[in-house]
Amino acid sequence: MERGEFAIIGTGEVPCGHFPERSEFEIAYTVAREAIRDAGIDVKEIGAVVCAQHIMSNPANDYNTEAVFGRLPEAIGARGCKITCMTSSGGASSFSLRKTAEGILHSGETDTVLVVHAQRFSQFTPNEQAKYFSVAGSDVEWEVPYGMTYNSLAAMVTQAYMTHTGTTIEQIAAVCVANRRWAMLQPNAMFNKKEITVDDVLSSRMVSYPLTSLMCNVLADGGSAFIMTTAEKARKVCSKPVYILGEASDYSHRTITRAKKKDLEKLWEFLAPVAKTAFERAGLGPEDMDIYQIYGSYPCIQLIVMDALGMWEPGSTGALVASGATSPGGKYPVTTNGEALSFGHTGTGVGIALLVESVRQLQGKAGKAQVEGARFLIENTGGGAFMDCHFTVLGNEIPG
Amino acid sequence: MSEKKVSIKDLLGLSDEEMRKPLPNPTPWSRPFWEAAKQHRLVLRRCSACGNIDHPPYPYCTACLADEHEWIEAQGKGTLYAYAVNYYGVPFPFWDDMPYVVAMIDLPEGPRMISNIVECDIEKLRNGMELEVVFDDVSDEISLPKWKPV
Ligand SMILES: [Zn+2]
Repeated sequence: MERGEFAIIGTGEVPCGHFPERSEFEIAYTVAREAIRDAGIDVKEIGAVVCAQHIMSNPANDYNTEAVFGRLPEAIGARGCKITCMTSSGGASSFSLRKTAEGILHSGETDTVLVVHAQRFSQFTPNEQAKYFSVAGSDVEWEVPYGMTYNSLAAMVTQAYMTHTGTTIEQIAAVCVANRRWAMLQPNAMFNKKEITVDDVLSSRMVSYPLTSLMCNVLADGGSAFIMTTAEKARKVCSKPVYILGEASDYSHRTITRAKKKDLEKLWEFLAPVAKTAFERAGLGPEDMDIYQIYGSYPCIQLIVMDALGMWEPGSTGALVASGATSPGGKYPVTTNGEALSFGHTGTGVGIALLVESVRQLQGKAGKAQVEGARFLIENTGGGAFMDCHFTVLGNEIPG
Repeated sequence: MSEKKVSIKDLLGLSDEEMRKPLPNPTPWSRPFWEAAKQHRLVLRRCSACGNIDHPPYPYCTACLADEHEWIEAQGKGTLYAYAVNYYGVPFPFWDDMPYVVAMIDLPEGPRMISNIVECDIEKLRNGMELEVVFDDVSDEISLPKWKPV
């Protein structure tokens, strides 16, 4: 990919939360139309529809089967669609979906790709969800028999990080507080009614020591979409395209015990070269960023990713977050939609929502959460048991 | 703590099936590990071509792709790298075990394992503490290696 070769020109999103009556199909069709209208293009211009995976399946009417067999282009009236597919890499899907879209654009078959995500967890019982997520983050043969869960995985990483960096549990809790402050500014966030304090976080129910319930994310129903095109077309049809300036990736493991970086408290050492490469490809540095859109999913992971950016001393980011610097109005806006912890965890959609929010910010459409004059930001995502890492530098201009 | 706990099974009227703990389902390449575990021996798959130890094991060496390998006896010693204590929100079959400890254990042979720490007060857990393997016979076929303080 050349710098600024592709751009995102429109987004759509529905409220995230507990909406059992709103089907995943309705979500998909709604966000698709919203993204088309937001981009200001005709639906017939869409040449490809790329669908995100719905986590867990309903045997009576499976969204994934429908999406793979071409339901979406038909339902949304994309009569010029030539290609449709599903792409998934769990939590890292925002990246693999975009990579798929870039590949399609690069092929020249079309110059307009719609990417759609929809998720309705509320159709499954809490125990079904608990069972799914106990095997999603853990190895079914070597970990699940020990009662391992996603939360215990994150708890172990947090426990190691605190022990080795001196980060306090209050600082870990401060990440949840900062995320909630951002979510308060988001009309579509699951938790946007009530601020929380460090005390609230620490006094909430212990789930997997050292993580309390407010440090663990809540599964939610929601979805979002975006339209991607070539920079050439973007300039013609959109007054403020958001360009993909630089991106980079790395993969570590499936099983956490086989992570490339064994000292998990130094997971930032695995992430840092990836961030550096993304910055280099964009021709920008961490200090040029107006926003840092970090997909943490758990508070400690947000800190570890911040440690990796080359901006702050690794291990010092807990104190930075506790100072309020990453909250609304702070010097370093981090994760402006509140992500999994406060926006809501929509399966493969957490990173997609963060990407959509990144686009809104750079288009000046972020409403109350708008960071004034935002030009450049870095966005990251990752999936599985912290299996991989992807950084992307986005901008509403291509730096000279 | 004389308070008698009510099982989640009775509380929610769950079936035996819903309460059945997930057990390892050995693959052709992991079966020697579980067969040894059944005899209370901890073994590891070492590549005969390059000496790499793979855990979890795979069909061929993940360092050099060779098939030839041997199963070596591990010392049965380990150190605690990190841990979590599950207090809430686990699948039903583990509900009555709460609080229980899930941990990462580093073996002197190189691999790291996920397991439970048993026979240890939660307050006494310390990163870096020395552990030794014990076997929990959870079924006729499966014995799970677990770890306790030395
Ligand atoms: Zn080998």
